[in-house]
Amino acid sequence: MRQALRDLHDTELAAQAAAGGRREYGELVRRHGSAVRGLLRRMGAEASLADDVAQDAFLQGFQRCAEFRGDGPFAGWIKKIAARLYLKRVRHEARYVAEVEADEAALPVDHAGLVDLDEALKTLNEAERLCVSLCHGAGMSHPEIAAAMNLPLGTVKSHVKRGLDKLRARLQPAADRNGRSIHVG
Amino acid sequence: MSADEFDPMVERLFSRSPAMADADLFAAEVRARLEKRSRVRGFALGLAGVIGGCVAVRETMNFSVSTGLHEGQTLTQGFRAASLTAQASVQSGLDGLGVTSIDLTSGSGMQMFWIVAGALFVLLAAGLVRLSQDV
Repeated sequence: MRQALRDLHDTELAAQAAAGGRREYGELVRRHGSAVRGLLRRMGAEASLADDVAQDAFLQGFQRCAEFRGDGPFAGWIKKIAARLYLKRVRHEARYVAEVEADEAALPVDHAGLVDLDEALKTLNEAERLCVSLCHGAGMSHPEIAAAMNLPLGTVKSHVKRGLDKLRARLQPAADRNGRSIHVG
Repeated sequence: MSADEFDPMVERLFSRSPAMADADLFAAEVRARLEKRSRVRGFALGLAGVIGGCVAVRETMNFSVSTGLHEGQTLTQGFRAASLTAQASVQSGLDGLGVTSIDLTSGSGMQMFWIVAGALFVLLAAGLVRLSQDV
């Protein structure tokens, strides 16, 4: 039976989950749990908080499974739910308006010369990190991010641009130096 | 590398999430919470149904005893009479509060009574469902 579930596409599993199939939804959790937890950690959540929010996101996803129409990947859909839940959790702390410059000394390259996105993200400030993660990790548009973070659209665009500039400054030299494309470490 | 090349590259980097050693444990925890939530919801809805059913039966039987309904009278008559009893109770409560302008025994007053009763029932049901979801 487990093998049969593994053979099903995400859209089929989601359709069965929408009809109350908890085992089918469990398979979706197994497939995408790490991606959601990884995104939340990249947004700046500590491991325990990321896992907590990811669990809540999957529970909410089960309730709302009927809304998933399969016109995009399930991973993107559940990531957006998780990202919004995380923003709700941190909103009252207003952490993302802080403009703390990160340590620029460390270049995020591991022993094998591979670039580590997670380390590179740590060099962004909270607002930039959140905006870049929401935009490129959760697939949210700039207006969606502005609404979710309760920030002006122009501010979101600035955060994304500055964040990407910083990532580029750190990731590109490593790629050029190694003479190959960048890989996740 | 231009921005046109760099942006998709960042998206690719984001899409490659590192495998987590406790992925199966995480999935098991989510499934356990789903099962628990389902049990709680089923229990809450079942309990609400039983309580509602008991109240309805009791009201009907009380009325039958107090008014001496004969056997053979239809259940519809019983419910109608029960509703009149409930309206009379609410009317006396309203009178006690000094709200005498509302007459539940009139046609429009009766309609309003049932609309408010229906709305309260829906609110109660929604509250129970929400409560079961939050547990």
